Amino acid sequence: MAVSAVPTHRTPPGIYRAARALRWVSAIVFILVILFAVSVGYSAFEVARSSPQSHGLSASFAPNGTVEIGGSFSLSNPGFYPIEGFELTARIVNASGVFLGQLATGPTTIAPSSDQSFPIALYIPVSETGPAVSLLTVDQYLAVDAWANATYAYLFPISVSLSESRSWGAPFEGLTVTVGTPMAAGGGVAVPVTVSFSNHAAFAQDGVLAFVIESSSFANCGSGSYTVDVPPGGYFDQTQNVDLSAGCSPAGGEVLSTFTTGGTVVPLPPEPIP
Amino acid sequence: MSAPAPSVTGAPAAPATAEVVGYNVPSLGYRIVVAALRLIPLFFVLIALPVGVLTFVGSHGIAVPISTAAVEFYGLVVIAILTARYVLKPTAAYGPLSAAASLVSLLFLYYALSLSPYHLTVPGGSASISVGYVLFLEILMIIPAFGLVAGILTTIEDVRSPKERLPFDYPA
Repeated sequence: MAVSAVPTHRTPPGIYRAARALRWVSAIVFILVILFAVSVGYSAFEVARSSPQSHGLSASFAPNGTVEIGGSFSLSNPGFYPIEGFELTARIVNASGVFLGQLATGPTTIAPSSDQSFPIALYIPVSETGPAVSLLTVDQYLAVDAWANATYAYLFPISVSLSESRSWGAPFEGLTVTVGTPMAAGGGVAVPVTVSFSNHAAFAQDGVLAFVIESSSFANCGSGSYTVDVPPGGYFDQTQNVDLSAGCSPAGGEVLSTFTTGGTVVPLPPEPIP
Repeated sequence: MSAPAPSVTGAPAAPATAEVVGYNVPSLGYRIVVAALRLIPLFFVLIALPVGVLTFVGSHGIAVPISTAAVEFYGLVVIAILTARYVLKPTAAYGPLSAAASLVSLLFLYYALSLSPYHLTVPGGSASISVGYVLFLEILMIIPAFGLVAGILTTIEDVRSPKERLPFDYPA
């Protein structure tokens, strides 16, 4: 084999060594970046597979004319890298676009190979003075918009947004309070009052439904109450006679109702009397 | 493959403190054959693998962050430059071609960076995901940036002292 020759030093010149060192560093960085990218891809896949889980979700009437949806959800991070700055915001509006409630959690960091649980406490106003009194008596769909932000594996900011339409089952769906024709009873006058509704909520209605018959001039003509114990999906339909105050005519007035459960008083929509 | 014949000869005037060192440059035919063989892994890594992944993802109704045409174009250009660089390594074209390959990679990464963040709408659902990768690509750009500087250094070396690097690139 013929060999050419060139006059030079035994050790490579500085510029050659510099170029060679840069190529070596470049190759090492390339290998590290590829290994990092592969491990991030695998970790992200594992995180995506372990979808969020909700636990013990329950609903109940709460003070201030609200329904509280409580419980928790957990996020699992089985990957190699932390989920940093995790923030979640959920916003609920009704079909008319009326804002009902908002849930926010974070920011927090979910360490690698760990689970983290987040409490849920969402209050939806259902009182007659609230923006969505129809939630008490009308089944409807609610728009749930949720946003989550986090940074994964130190380098990748991620935003997830979710829009869902969730059905709302009214706890007093189709509530009617019907005042019948006055009739003579025991020397006075009484009217039959019929209350009916379906419980389409996910929780039982267990309490006292009280009502007041008010005349058109806002005089109290009479009152009564029912003990209510209606499971989810159950139906309530009862009638009782109410003695009217002397000279008080319910015609043109309205029936005012409240539902009391666990110390919480929920005003129900007023029912006009023809 | 038989031992390559030398294709570069000659010796410029020797520096005072230098000594004569031998080198053995493979023949042009040998370098072309090896460069052709290198096309196989280069094609797989720079074109087949990324285009295959993008096509697989796209076939599942998921919008891909970058077009396959852009990846193919980048891959073909870089493969052509790297192949020419290998064949012309003993010549003064090696440095400029090294710099060119790095520059093309830098431009491609800058183009990919301009597409961040990546928006994905989950098929059939109302969820959307946005992933930013600017920082990752900026770190990735270190690689061609170093390559670009190395190519420029080699170009300067070849201009100042032609064939000075040959004994170290092709030791006898």
